[in-house]
Amino acid sequence: MLDHPQPEETKPDRDARPRGHRLDIDGVRVRYGQTVAVRDVTLSVEPGEMVALLGPSGCGKTTLLRTVAGFIRAEAGRVLVDGAAIDRLPPGRRGVGIVFQSYALFPHMSAAENVAYGLEARRLPKAVVVRKVEAALAAVRMEGFAERRPRALSGGQQQRVALARALAIEPSILLLDEPFAALDRALRLDLQLEIKRIQRRFGVTAVLVTHDQDEAMSMSDRMAVMNAGRVEQVAPPAEVYDRPATAFVAGFVGTTNRLPGRIEARDGAGYRIRLDAGATVAVESARGFDTGARVVVCARPEQLALTEAAEGFPARLRQSLPLGPALIHDIECGALELKLHAARHGAPPAPGPVRIGLLPGATPALFPEGETT
Amino acid sequence: MHRFTGADRALALLILALAGVGFLILVGPVVVVLVTSFTSSRALQFPPPGFTLQWYRDLFDAERSAQIHVAAGNSLLVAVLTAVVATSLSTAAALAIARSRATWSKVAEGAFMAPLVLPGIAFGLAALMFFSWLRQPPSLALLVAGHAMIAAPFALRTVGASAAGLDPALLESSAALGAGPWRTFRRVTLPLIMPGVAAGAFLAFVSSLDNVPVSLFLSSAQTDMLPIRLWGMMETALDVRVAAASGVLVALAFVLLLAMDRAVGLARRMSG
Repeated sequence: MLDHPQPEETKPDRDARPRGHRLDIDGVRVRYGQTVAVRDVTLSVEPGEMVALLGPSGCGKTTLLRTVAGFIRAEAGRVLVDGAAIDRLPPGRRGVGIVFQSYALFPHMSAAENVAYGLEARRLPKAVVVRKVEAALAAVRMEGFAERRPRALSGGQQQRVALARALAIEPSILLLDEPFAALDRALRLDLQLEIKRIQRRFGVTAVLVTHDQDEAMSMSDRMAVMNAGRVEQVAPPAEVYDRPATAFVAGFVGTTNRLPGRIEARDGAGYRIRLDAGATVAVESARGFDTGARVVVCARPEQLALTEAAEGFPARLRQSLPLGPALIHDIECGALELKLHAARHGAPPAPGPVRIGLLPGATPALFPEGETT
Repeated sequence: MHRFTGADRALALLILALAGVGFLILVGPVVVVLVTSFTSSRALQFPPPGFTLQWYRDLFDAERSAQIHVAAGNSLLVAVLTAVVATSLSTAAALAIARSRATWSKVAEGAFMAPLVLPGIAFGLAALMFFSWLRQPPSLALLVAGHAMIAAPFALRTVGASAAGLDPALLESSAALGAGPWRTFRRVTLPLIMPGVAAGAFLAFVSSLDNVPVSLFLSSAQTDMLPIRLWGMMETALDVRVAAASGVLVALAFVLLLAMDRAVGLARRMSG
């Protein structure tokens, strides 16, 4: 595929045939001495799909990636590509391409020599290597920098070369280990878009490790939120945000207001909950709760609103900050600190006593109290 | 602004004086021997009454200095082989030690560095007894073995310093791109640690070339070594050719140092 790169304009993404390979992580457990870094993780990545492993540092996401790459041996479980186990293969024979956080370009080789490295290791004829190097550098728009050493390239350029090097060997699986962490913010978005485009165009199956939820949201088809060695939820970004599966996911992805309360009664598809703050709200939930059980309602900032109605609970508005087209209300309610996200029109309300209610139609998440950390 | 006080100035003068004394002690003898090697006198005498190149002519005379030439040939051969053996072994050891965080690697490093603090005479005697116990007659191979032991710590240090600065992600990158261990070593590891390897080889070469204690015990009439031969000449005749030979050795070391600096500087630029 590298031999004939198609101009993007003539070949829209949706026409790209899925040429990727399927990756299955099946019950993988990794232990460092006494510490279990990855706890029985099962995760499938569809051909051509990009899945982000998102989580705080130490959650096991990088360990999982390195296990797929073959740098770490799993204590239990299997890694399969297209249904064939690759656990016993060395990294170089797994058909994985890796872009490291530090890019790991060979400093004593030019960009072209770096890209050629994997092709030469495969003992391809020289003419083929030259052609594929040119195509790979062109794919990342670095053809003008072929003879430059990494030190003579900017961070973003080094990253493109690292991507070209990983893609030149036509890997079944592309592994990206925090590839944007070393770049400044302005450059990051451009490169994220470009890498996403290239990944789609090549139809390569990709796993992206990141601790940046915006990056995971914008780049991945699905994200796997990890915590303490486990995958807590695997779903498309919007679903993770709208319907977090666990209290951890609700807290880690996006901003959440935690409102403790008690189940009053079943109510249609959900429950009526008496909030400690002094209001009764109806929340949909598929989970089973007993009447009287302690729960926490996790509401997004845009799911709460200042209200005049009597069913709202009393609180105090500390300040309102404009954020682009929106307004962030900073609110205090007893020991709780709440953030509300509202459309900005007219003058912001004056600080002081307010009432807060759940926006009609909002579907906050509901978790048992002990689960909330 | 900081103002220099009298005490500051006194301290600066003291440091300057100490540096001057150090410089004099380090460089003075070399200058004396170099100047003496051009003396027109028949004895080792400083300052010389006049200057001539006669002793260098004598030194390079194939007939009159045949024994010196044999010894010099032996010494150079042993020094080259020592540099090769010590640097190869040290490179292997340094890479393994740099990669490992296990306790044994610290123990191994200590063991490899031990010859540095071991008294040369004691090691020379021990080596002689050990090799006689193994019923090995004196040979150049034994000299190389003995010298390599002494030279290895130098190479281990310099290669170790280079290897410690090697980004493990580069080696993982190479492996992930399909390169085997040998290709990774040849194409990635070795070029990047080359400054350390070159410096190590240079130090091993020089330490072998002027080694006396080990050569004293392990050399024989057939495997005469240059420093031993020169010492013998000094003892018997105060031969001025010794000064000339010293001059040649100093010049050789100086040229090698410049060559190595160029090579290492080049390697640094290559890796940059």
